[in-house]
Amino acid sequence: MTAAPAIRLTGVGKQYAADGPVVLDGIDLSVAPGEFACLLGASGCGKSTLLSLIAGLEQPSTGTIEVDGRAAVMFQEASLLPWLSARRNVELALRFGDAGLARPARRARALELLDLVHLADAADKRPHELSGGMRQRVALARALAQDRSVLLMDEPFAALDAITRDLLHEELERVWRETGRTIVFVTHNVREAARLGQRVLLMSSRPGRIVNEWRIADDGPRRIESPTVSELSVEITEHLRREIRRNAA
Amino acid sequence: MAGLDRLQTTAERRTPWWRRAIDGVLPPVLLLVVLVAAWQAYTVIAQPRPDLAPGPLDVAAALGEAWDDGRLQLAISTSLERGVLGFLIAVAVGTPLGLLLAEWAPLRRALGPLISGLQVLPSVAWVPAAILWFGLSDATVYFVVLMGAIPSIVNGLVAGVAQVPPQLRRVGTVLGASRFELAASVVLPAALPGYLAGLKQGWAFSWRSLMAAEIIAFGGSIGFGVGSLLQQGRDLADLASVLGTILVILAIGVVIELLVFAPVERGMLRRRGLTGGTP
Ligand SMILES: Nc1ncnc2c1ncn2[C@@H]1O[C@H](COP(=O)(O)OP(=O)(O)OP(=O)(O)O)[C@@H](O)[C@H]1O
Ligand SMILES: [Mg+2]
Repeated sequence: MTAAPAIRLTGVGKQYAADGPVVLDGIDLSVAPGEFACLLGASGCGKSTLLSLIAGLEQPSTGTIEVDGRAAVMFQEASLLPWLSARRNVELALRFGDAGLARPARRARALELLDLVHLADAADKRPHELSGGMRQRVALARALAQDRSVLLMDEPFAALDAITRDLLHEELERVWRETGRTIVFVTHNVREAARLGQRVLLMSSRPGRIVNEWRIADDGPRRIESPTVSELSVEITEHLRREIRRNAA
Repeated sequence: MAGLDRLQTTAERRTPWWRRAIDGVLPPVLLLVVLVAAWQAYTVIAQPRPDLAPGPLDVAAALGEAWDDGRLQLAISTSLERGVLGFLIAVAVGTPLGLLLAEWAPLRRALGPLISGLQVLPSVAWVPAAILWFGLSDATVYFVVLMGAIPSIVNGLVAGVAQVPPQLRRVGTVLGASRFELAASVVLPAALPGYLAGLKQGWAFSWRSLMAAEIIAFGGSIGFGVGSLLQQGRDLADLASVLGTILVILAIGVVIELLVFAPVERGMLRRRGLTGGTP
């Protein structure tokens, strides 16, 4: 790695309350520009917290965080504004701040992005009229609408069926290859991590630390049912099991 | 994909407006007819003294008389004009004040208890002071109305903002909203349900305060409102007219609720998918 990292964490720790549990402890992590990193870990180990820190929504208790510009975030809950239609929710990302597109341009761009996540038909529906998976896809379109070099995604495809998820993996990979964004992708799904990531990071719980990592040779798109993905997921699952068992004990 | 998605959303079925109107209007109208019929039956069968228990026909006659000499129209238009104008002034004052309190914690801590106290204080209590300050003039009426309505509007807005889910602010921040954009495009719309509840209560308090002020402060340059009509009926010991005026005050409250607040509230709830199970 020669270029300056897009994200660099040094000795980052996080405690929500002074007398509360240590959620994150001594996290050192560099993500190179244009890298696709997947973050795996048991429920409650601090993955969302780590993303909030990188996004600047929470302050670390110890250590420092450097990010190349502001990050776009796709939250664990879709977090759409309930009074706006799907299209207007996406447009919001194009309106705020310096992006400042004119109204017709915003509209056209929002429809383009909704089409990308296969929701062109639902553009004028409000969040409560959409299914959970559709809401997540709107949130994905909104996250992509922000023209930021770093994209943080918190279990973005958790509520989707296997086929839709497969399609969106392909779209996300295409967007990533085309735009060269840096992506940190949180998931519970080991196969998904092995399918998408160039690097898979495994976190332990209480306190949250990065305990293991795998690099995957990137020789073009791979399918989720390919042998490479299967072999790697078996190995990672083994480690994840051990991590969870150690915690339960 | 499109086919899959179509399966996921249920087709929207909206009842036509006339159907909703009938569903909403018919039950209360039926109840009203039954009540009036029972009342009339009582006066016919029990034959009570008409000056102590006038029947619906007496009350209607009293109202008709007030209508014929123009007092009723004058009273209604005077009171409505004052009520609406006073309410609008209260909105114009209460909204920025509420926003300021909601977004600036020190001010909220200092002023919050006072505003809550004012909301509990019946605004009639201000009438004597207002008469001493402003005499028997319109200023007295407006002062009492504002003291009744502003605290409700401020409190509603502050409560609405306090209940905005923190996650929505985080979304706005991540999307790159400036402080002003966050307030205008995220916080205020999210606080709309609380604000609307405050406005509704504010109107109720305006209207009550107005009636109280008109009944107590009578004469001078104060115009002739519905409250004054009520007071006049009492002076003449004309119970039919008094009961009729009460019915008019009640009817105006119901009409404003049905024509103004109910549609706005329904629209807002429907847009946010908060209509629950009520058909
Ligand atoms: N705002 C907060 N205040 C206090 N504690 C918090 C807060 N947010 C998270 N925590 C605690 O931090 C720990 C990590 O939470 P976090 O949401 O980061 O987990 P996660 O790895 O994202 O879990 P999941 O996979 O279930 O989403 C949990 O023990 C949680 O109770
Ligand atoms: Mg999480």
